[in-house]
Amino acid sequence: MKNKIFQENSKVVYTREIAKNTFETMLYSPKISNRAIPGQFINILPSSNWGAMMRRPMSIASQENDNISIIYKIVGNGTQMMRDWKVGQTVDIIGPLGNFWIGYDEYEPILIGGGVGIAPIINLKNHLDKLNIKNHLIMGARNSDEHFLDHEPNLNIHMSTDDGSLGVKGTVIDVLNIMLEEPNRKKIYACGPPGMMEAVKVFSINNNIVCDLAVETIMACGVGICQGCTVELNKVDENKNSYRQKYALACIDGPIFNAKDIKTCYL
Amino acid sequence: MLSVKIKDIIFKNPILTASGTFGYGNEIGEFIDIEKLGGVVTKSVTLHPREGNPQPRIAETDSGMLNSIGLANLGVVEYCNSKLPYLNNLDTNFIINVAGYAIDDYVETLQILESNNGKQVGYEINISCPNVKEGGMEFGVDPSMTEKLTAELRKHTDKILIMKLSPNVTRIEDIAKAAEFGGADCVSAINTLVGMGIDIKTRKPKINTVFGGLSGPAIKPIALANVHKIYKAINIPIIGLGGIKSINDIVEFILAGADLIQIGTLNYKEPGIGIRLADDLMNYLKENNINSISELKGQLSI
Repeated sequence: MKNKIFQENSKVVYTREIAKNTFETMLYSPKISNRAIPGQFINILPSSNWGAMMRRPMSIASQENDNISIIYKIVGNGTQMMRDWKVGQTVDIIGPLGNFWIGYDEYEPILIGGGVGIAPIINLKNHLDKLNIKNHLIMGARNSDEHFLDHEPNLNIHMSTDDGSLGVKGTVIDVLNIMLEEPNRKKIYACGPPGMMEAVKVFSINNNIVCDLAVETIMACGVGICQGCTVELNKVDENKNSYRQKYALACIDGPIFNAKDIKTCYL
Repeated sequence: MLSVKIKDIIFKNPILTASGTFGYGNEIGEFIDIEKLGGVVTKSVTLHPREGNPQPRIAETDSGMLNSIGLANLGVVEYCNSKLPYLNNLDTNFIINVAGYAIDDYVETLQILESNNGKQVGYEINISCPNVKEGGMEFGVDPSMTEKLTAELRKHTDKILIMKLSPNVTRIEDIAKAAEFGGADCVSAINTLVGMGIDIKTRKPKINTVFGGLSGPAIKPIALANVHKIYKAINIPIIGLGGIKSINDIVEFILAGADLIQIGTLNYKEPGIGIRLADDLMNYLKENNINSISELKGQLSI
């Protein structure tokens, strides 16, 4: 059986700042690149002398030409080390991990991304464009500094900002409201901060729109061993003595879940 | 050079993986050659499937981590159906970790495992579980309860019977002796230490159950001390574990009295660490003209 998961010594191709405090790193990682599907993630060892016990899981933002990319904000030691990786440096990564986006060919997809959740959304956007599947992209941020794309409604690319400095003033929900005036069969794909995801989840349920969410949790192993990255599910048969019916694992049952299935995005 | 014999079973090297940190072998076996390990100890299995505790279940600490998984597992019947076939085909030893909430639970689970013709070389018994029939006190904090459980399980298997000891006791050597009297072939030490963390923004505990089990390099000196105390108290083999991350750590545990060691938390960071350290151990023995691991056991020089 051909391996599906690899531990690969990838090489840093480049790192660049794409928005305020937001970085993109390209890694030469042929094994993972050739296997990865939009929505999946990798588990990263930020350095060979990493003192913490857990790797850092990150969504894959692209998988092309033997390379994969990741997009991240500097939030702690790990992401600081990642930003400071040198070109050509070896980075130990495990992947591709988790499930992936599905069902986009049956709908007109609306993609929603915000904060650190933009990577899997950008990945899906590029994938859909390549497949010539009409799609809409909504990106939310506090202000224009945090955006790295332009507001281009004619191209179905919409930015929202809390302060109105770019695109629609408000949140991704305000853009969604406008968009849903069109009657086409839509499906939402979202990834972002918990508050944004929760709002999208509630919106999708109230408006009866199919919605998949890529969640973020604390995670150690990434392959279903430690059982640490639990996501509480709604559909539980209390009479059934079960395993992973109530608490799914983000690493192997996710990271993508149907909005109706999960209890909360605050994980 | 690296092989170690326990009862009638030969381990190709003294490095095993600790229960709960290596799943059922197949997950990591997909990308690591786990047959190079001395053995795999699988995640605690219980009589019935268990969903485990609500999130958050894990948290990082300085040089360690806290966990409170709540023994989430698929249950013994499903274990036999879906995990044993893979494990049976492994060219290395595997040991099944068993947990329970009453002596009957453990016995029934063991009987089901015994009746399935698996190739497991033994059982590691998680006694850090509350005995619900006896007021909820953990089996492993009371010598008489430990001895009784060990003796009951002994009746049902001839395979290696390992009692996994908790460090959250006053005198771990008394519990080790109780396991020995009860008929255990071996003890493993230590399980996690009770620990806690608080998020000062939300003022909530970092682990859903408030208290969790602390593991990782932070607990290694405590583990080493416990292994040595046990070594001085009993005559059966010892499996040492607790934060092992280097060849130096392994040699320390063996010098303190361990026959085998387990690697736990570090597997999350480096799934192949056990295989790397097996090579390191071989080099260490060669460089120091040591012919076998047994020459090192308990050779602490005081």
